[in-house]
Amino acid sequence: MKNFYVVLGVVAVAGVAVVWWALQGGTPVMEPVDLGEITDQELVDLAQGVVYGNEDAPITIMEFADYQCNHCAIFALSVKPLLDTDYIETGQAKLVFHDFPTGLFPHSFLAARAARCAGEQDQYFEYHDEVFRTQMDWGAMESAVGHFRDLADGLGLDGRAFRRCLNGNKYADVVTANRSLGERIGVTGTPSIFVHDGQMLNFTGGYNYADVQRVLEAVGSGN
Amino acid sequence: MAVALLSLAGVFLAFYLVAHNLGWTPPLLCGTGDCGIVQSSSHAWVGPIPVSAIGLAGYLALFVLSLMGLQESMARSRLIALLLFGGALAGVLYSGYLTYLEAAVIKAWCRYCVASAILITVVFAATIPEVRRIRGMGSG
Repeated sequence: MKNFYVVLGVVAVAGVAVVWWALQGGTPVMEPVDLGEITDQELVDLAQGVVYGNEDAPITIMEFADYQCNHCAIFALSVKPLLDTDYIETGQAKLVFHDFPTGLFPHSFLAARAARCAGEQDQYFEYHDEVFRTQMDWGAMESAVGHFRDLADGLGLDGRAFRRCLNGNKYADVVTANRSLGERIGVTGTPSIFVHDGQMLNFTGGYNYADVQRVLEAVGSGN
Repeated sequence: MAVALLSLAGVFLAFYLVAHNLGWTPPLLCGTGDCGIVQSSSHAWVGPIPVSAIGLAGYLALFVLSLMGLQESMARSRLIALLLFGGALAGVLYSGYLTYLEAAVIKAWCRYCVASAILITVVFAATIPEVRRIRGMGSG
């Protein structure tokens, strides 16, 4: 009987040690991570946006958006298609999407990471559109992981690769850096749209088509 | 004795999942599995209670009962033997249901859940000899 209690003690100590070790593992993926000491240049290098349209287009429309913000969904689904037709497909401008999880919603950060994971398979904006289109569905969920996985399956992505990406910490630093970049250039709400002509960054002041068009035309005409 | 040891292992296993469900720990150390998908699915919760907490309570109960059964004064307790058998059987059935959910509904596997299902099955098997002994005593 004494031997039994010795074995029981060994199991207890081993169990505590293993659980303690396991609890140390990993870093949060549902919220921004600590980037540590980072220079402005390192931040800019890390905070890569995702380009939509011709990379060489002279004008850049910079969008900072939160996947769970409904105004961002309106911009993505109603305004972006108009910009696409009038400026992006014509090669006058490109759109660069920057993540800006505001911290107001529970799934924004994960959604941004999920879209980046889809981007690994060259379907960033297809996934982006689906995430915004179904925002009302997953926004109310306790956990949106399954929904994001289903969206990937629906687009025909490699589900195993997508899950490996999403379940890990991939792009947590990139999404965090995107947000930090937005903060540094004065983004306080989403969506925030800027127009960059290679020299100056112009804030549109609104996300309606007319707001963006006004700045695009002004920049395009050299005013 | 085997029941006590295995139940204690189950306590640690379930505690790790509870810690994850309650947000005490970041992503599960999962390797090639889909623990994150399983643990963040709606099936990982029964209302406000994580399923892992039910497992933790079950393993704790089995552990305490098995320790009680090892005491000389209760070594031949029919009640404890039956409670261990019934509790482990309930655990096996519930684990079977959860395994079905993983396979057919969630379509993802969590290695910790599978390990727990195997563990509770072994615990259940370990309770059978004692129940047989008691039945033998009753009929003899």
